[in-house]
Amino acid sequence: MKHKKITMALTTAACSLFNATPDVQADESADLGEWDINAAVLYYTESERVSAFEPVISAKKQIDSDESISLKLTLDSLTGPSANGAVPSINPQTFTKPSGNSSYTAPANEAPLDDTFKDTRVAFSASWEQALSRMTRMTLGGNLSKEYDYLSLGTSVMFAHDINQRNTTLNAGVSFAHDTIEPEGDIPTPFGIMQPTGTTQPRLTGTDDKTLIDVLLGVIQVVDKDSLFQVNYSYSQADGYLTDPFKVISIVDGATGLPIIEDATTNLSQVVFENRPDSRTKHSLYTQYKRNIIGDVMDVSYRYMFDDWEITSHTLDFRYRLKTSETTFWQPHLRYYQQSEAEFFRPYFVSGQQPGVGADNVYATSDYRLGEMTTYTIGLEYGEKYHDHGWSIAAEYYLQSVTEPSVKVGQLAQQELFPDVDAFMLRFNYDF
Amino acid sequence: MPGIINRNITIEKTDMGFTGMFDAMASPCEILIETHDYALAKKLVQIAADEAWRIEQKFSRYRNDNILYHIHHACGEPVEVDDELTPLLNFAEQCYQLTDGMFDITSGILRRAWKFDCSDNIPTHRTIDELRSLIGWEKVSWQPPFISLPVGMELDLGGIGKEYAVDRAALLISQVSDIAILINFGGDLYATKPPKSRESWQVGIESIDGWNKTGVIKIKSGGIATSGDARRYLERDGIRYSHVLNPKTGWPVEEGPKSVTVAAPRCIDAGFLSTTAMLNGKEAKSFLEVQEVQYWLQI
Repeated sequence: MKHKKITMALTTAACSLFNATPDVQADESADLGEWDINAAVLYYTESERVSAFEPVISAKKQIDSDESISLKLTLDSLTGPSANGAVPSINPQTFTKPSGNSSYTAPANEAPLDDTFKDTRVAFSASWEQALSRMTRMTLGGNLSKEYDYLSLGTSVMFAHDINQRNTTLNAGVSFAHDTIEPEGDIPTPFGIMQPTGTTQPRLTGTDDKTLIDVLLGVIQVVDKDSLFQVNYSYSQADGYLTDPFKVISIVDGATGLPIIEDATTNLSQVVFENRPDSRTKHSLYTQYKRNIIGDVMDVSYRYMFDDWEITSHTLDFRYRLKTSETTFWQPHLRYYQQSEAEFFRPYFVSGQQPGVGADNVYATSDYRLGEMTTYTIGLEYGEKYHDHGWSIAAEYYLQSVTEPSVKVGQLAQQELFPDVDAFMLRFNYDF
Repeated sequence: MPGIINRNITIEKTDMGFTGMFDAMASPCEILIETHDYALAKKLVQIAADEAWRIEQKFSRYRNDNILYHIHHACGEPVEVDDELTPLLNFAEQCYQLTDGMFDITSGILRRAWKFDCSDNIPTHRTIDELRSLIGWEKVSWQPPFISLPVGMELDLGGIGKEYAVDRAALLISQVSDIAILINFGGDLYATKPPKSRESWQVGIESIDGWNKTGVIKIKSGGIATSGDARRYLERDGIRYSHVLNPKTGWPVEEGPKSVTVAAPRCIDAGFLSTTAMLNGKEAKSFLEVQEVQYWLQI
């Protein structure tokens, strides 16, 4: 019997078998060809202030073992009053709304809140992850965020490279964003004085913009079979219009501490629009340690940030995921955040000491977000996770405490310029 | 086999590193890993086990929730198969052509007549002839990705499934780590590369007489598969019927070697060559000589 040699044909046949076969990952969470969909709803409310309702839907599709795409759509609806930056007074105070067409009045002895704050934001982001080689992955991302008066467009590229038998991952990435703001009532003149309703407000232009560049370098190291450690350094550079067009600073009498009255007929207090530097450089160092403790997961992180506005901050975060059964978990969460104030933080100006109108090289803000502050978060999450779906519900309580100025003139000594703000957040998450 | 699949993994420390063990496809499976990193070893064993179990579930003919069940119960209607089964069927078709019909994935139904339990239950010629009418890849309509089987016919990927699983596991592991690994799914093997600590992997070949390891095969890298009747045969009137069945006659191959072991670049190639060698009966040796592959025969 004469035999044919079939090994060549066979090798070809087997080759096509393995080349044409989709690389099915052993990872159960990445079923090929199907979208992993996650839906979440966040409800956030600050006592007597802003409340937010935020549905998020995200989807991830594994195209093959080394390629995936992710999409995320966020809707944000914010309503409620927010602090406008002016100091409280023993008398009611009136302020003109950003539109210039109407006004609002702050009651006596309360931090003035602009109650016109209402905004809806739509954000969409997409990313595409692709393996460049066996050990290197690249993620390209793009995002768009649109509010009534704001448009942000961004793009990013991130590389991850595994070394040391995949026990070490090196990350490097850069992102770029361009934001355009077109505030209601246009961009105010720096230190321009707010005018009564129906008169001309101190305005510059209709729109302004800023660019943001972020660079990230990081290392993730598997420490042992149960723990990993991550260190990231990030550099962030923002240039352009960084001022908040809706924030003002009060001008008070140096003896009484009472706001100067700009317009007696309408009871309008004298306030000037703030002005911030047109660039900000931030450096931050982030470290995270994650450890598996017999099925539980402990996650501790610390971030140190400093910038050229002379703000430094420390964030400590702790989560412990307690596995209560094969499918259920509880996760307490504690977070502590502390920051120093910006170099140009001015809770108010004593009359005569404020910068001249239009002085764009002088910087001042009374925005509490740039003041010395400490925040605390305590939360608890409960979740159930099954093979192909899962859900979780989280509740968090947040307390923000801004340090009062050490010297407060006149009546301000009796006032709380920055009352504590507490907030409650509820989030529901469902994985399809 | 139907029923609950045992999904336990055991990992043991060895001189070389770790050995992971689990059961899949009705066979004991082993992964030998040359690393002293337990976490890595565990991860790689898990990858191999998950892949073996996935393939077992997907291509088992004992389940009623997979693609084979749909194909078998389509009453002759075309069934669209997925991107994984399509190349496998193409491969099976090429194997059928390369062997002039001796290697045929429709021949699995012969097992209804032949129960290789070492007994003397030899089926009747009439039974075999009835089954033969339901065998033959040429009766299958395969127009990728659509397949339709005549009613009563069945596909059995058992002849290539375990070898395919070995190659798949090797592929997935190589995407995660480049250390030396030997995969052994019930005697079907693949080595990613030679271990650093010695020249090659050494694999014992089971003797037909039992569990004594009579032969040792040295393998640096690539696939190894064995066909044979070491533990599966029937015997009557002094004639030993091997479990390798000739799909054309429906009867066991006669005068063949007791087992054939072949080394090839991939485990699936090795499996096909060893099976085909067995199907060639007493011509097994000359067939293997022509193929210019490394082989080991037990006559």
